[in-house]
Amino acid sequence: MQSFKGRTEPTRFEDLTVTVDFHCHSACRFCIVQEGMNDYRGVPFERFKQAVDENQQTPRYRRVSFTGGEVTLEKKLFDYLAYAKASESFDHIRLQTDARLLRDPAFAERLLEAGVDEFFVSLHGPDADVHDFITQRPGSFEQTWRGLLNLRELGATILTNTVMTTLNVDHLAAIVQRVSALEPATMEFWNYLPMADKADELGLIVPMARLMPALRRALDEARERSIRCAVKYVPICLLGEHASSIDNAQPDVVIVEEFYDLYPKFACLWEAKCEHAEACLALTHAYVGKYGWEKSLLVPEPRTKPWVEPDEGLAYGTEKPLEPSGAFPRGPAENEPDPWRALVAGVAPEHDASLASLVLDRRRCTFRFERGQASVDVVLTKRSSNRQALVRSRSFNISYRNLLGLDETGDDKAAMAKLIEAVAQTVVSRDAGEMLLDERKGLVGPTSRRKRKS
Amino acid sequence: MTSLPVVHPGALGELPFPLARTSPSDRHFDYCLQPYRPRRSPRGKLRAENLLLKALELSGSLAPALPVIEALRASLGRDMVVWGTKWDGERLFFELYIYDPQKEDPKATVSGLRETLRSLLPIGPTVAETIPYMMVSFDLDVPVFESGAVSELNLYLSDVDAHAGRSYVVSGEQMALANTYRFLEPKREIDTLLALLESSSFIDYSDPRVLGRVLLPDLFACKRVCVAKKRLRDGVYFSGLSIEQLLGFLRRCSYPAPLVAFADAIAGDLDHVYFDVGLDLLQDASGAISYPKTSFYGTF
Repeated sequence: MQSFKGRTEPTRFEDLTVTVDFHCHSACRFCIVQEGMNDYRGVPFERFKQAVDENQQTPRYRRVSFTGGEVTLEKKLFDYLAYAKASESFDHIRLQTDARLLRDPAFAERLLEAGVDEFFVSLHGPDADVHDFITQRPGSFEQTWRGLLNLRELGATILTNTVMTTLNVDHLAAIVQRVSALEPATMEFWNYLPMADKADELGLIVPMARLMPALRRALDEARERSIRCAVKYVPICLLGEHASSIDNAQPDVVIVEEFYDLYPKFACLWEAKCEHAEACLALTHAYVGKYGWEKSLLVPEPRTKPWVEPDEGLAYGTEKPLEPSGAFPRGPAENEPDPWRALVAGVAPEHDASLASLVLDRRRCTFRFERGQASVDVVLTKRSSNRQALVRSRSFNISYRNLLGLDETGDDKAAMAKLIEAVAQTVVSRDAGEMLLDERKGLVGPTSRRKRKS
Repeated sequence: MTSLPVVHPGALGELPFPLARTSPSDRHFDYCLQPYRPRRSPRGKLRAENLLLKALELSGSLAPALPVIEALRASLGRDMVVWGTKWDGERLFFELYIYDPQKEDPKATVSGLRETLRSLLPIGPTVAETIPYMMVSFDLDVPVFESGAVSELNLYLSDVDAHAGRSYVVSGEQMALANTYRFLEPKREIDTLLALLESSSFIDYSDPRVLGRVLLPDLFACKRVCVAKKRLRDGVYFSGLSIEQLLGFLRRCSYPAPLVAFADAIAGDLDHVYFDVGLDLLQDASGAISYPKTSFYGTF
């Protein structure tokens, strides 16, 4: 039975983002948490500690990112940083910031000493005219630029983030030219996602016919300067020779539940025909509502393998470069310690099968087994008596899907049934109840919002 | 995916009908009476027919409709009647669909229905049972109850391709072609779907934005799309939708606020159901698309 959810929330399992609080000294016109600013609460320290402690027990996040609001405004940030650093359970500690306060070199240095090794800096224009108009704070560009120069001076890893709207679409290449002097590790270009303004009354959504030539020029500029770029939320087929720059993954975000109610969904007419379907989000529903499906502009790349309707949206197991276009993203490598792989280790060979892939995301662990031409996905989700399952272990609901490639004799079907049963029973026997998959990491209930004076 | 709060019935206020709860004997069918596996466990939840009952209440036809519903359910079996709740912006009205494509149940024929409803709602039109119809439907609304009889039937015949068909309206002894329709998988059969939509006497698709108003993206994430070519309009139907999608549809189409509020309040107890919806399409001189009649479906 197929499931037909909208395609949304592609999470990268190895990154955890923590929203420390929701205050900001800028007022970006496209802000995706604008609705919750000064209303949503940040992640309570105890909740954050729990996530870090879990990561020590069952390692799954390599990076923790702190964000807001503008996270550098929060004095308690240093408590969060200290706990993350002391845990020694993350390879990287990242700050998502506008870097305005980092114009003070002492403050920038203090952040590095606290363990931050990556700075993901928002920069929305190549100069004050464009940037300050977007942030609605005169002088903010100069402050951000000074902060970036300080980080460069300190030898920190710099990444930039530019949200592409009608307000800056004509300046993308100029942003690359300006930033190149900083030798950033990566420049990210995120297509604007309308969160609350689904009808785009602010007029920020850029039609693809205008956006893509400008973006490709910017990517050309970056390539000439050997700058790595990552692009989010544009159709891959419109990126041309820059298709490999697409990276739609997002980290696990600990944030208020309501945020996800607003999170856009995506769709494409050509999904079942296109080789990029597993990696491409295509168009937001809001975009289709305003500009249509772009039936003629989007050109599907012919598929080389059958298309399977995704159950829950895209899944990204790792930030390591994806396999050649369309390949299934991989989980941890064979030789890495991996409690997930250990759940089923040894089962497949007993059934003349192999474990072809393991994909982890926030909600699922998907094992793909192959036996000759036949294949099947055995899927673990958080244990819940409310959801259908083949069988339940202490931590998981266990089910299977995508039983494909069976021969007509019935032999394959019988053999795959035995394999599925053996995998399920093995997981049941090995799962001690300490492994975690979440349906949502959000904060739920009254504690997620600030108290208001009546 | 949004997790919806489960609201206890007490929060719904005074209802003129008891909330229909799921039972182990429930069967789960779409609006073509095709079985599906529920999205979630239905145990301890509510049946989709509560939405029909609420809409009947709001239309003022709950009391006369209940005996008809009970009579059909007793005759045909639980979950064997498909109901459609329709909205034209001013009034709610209803249609009941009785399927028997294999001609297995004499009670599911026009003759059988005539017998079942003899004392409640006499059926006027006569139909030769030699016609190979696979479904019959009739309206159930205030004018029907005021007249005390069913004066029109709709007969549905399959085309050679089992995923398509035609309907005829039967009035008295007259029969006229009403519409043709075809079911398609939205993504795998997208080329055919687009060709069918764009082969239209009523909708001009030359503005690329028009397609976005017909294949609404939030409904396009569905199991099947049905394209209907009616005498005076085109229609498009989406089946296999979640309760969240149904709520979005009800709001988009401005269904009566009490009905939307009711659906919202019990949404958490309807997360096991797949819903089906339909939209009639109208294009004005400026090219804008509107939906003069919309509908959603379930079984009782």
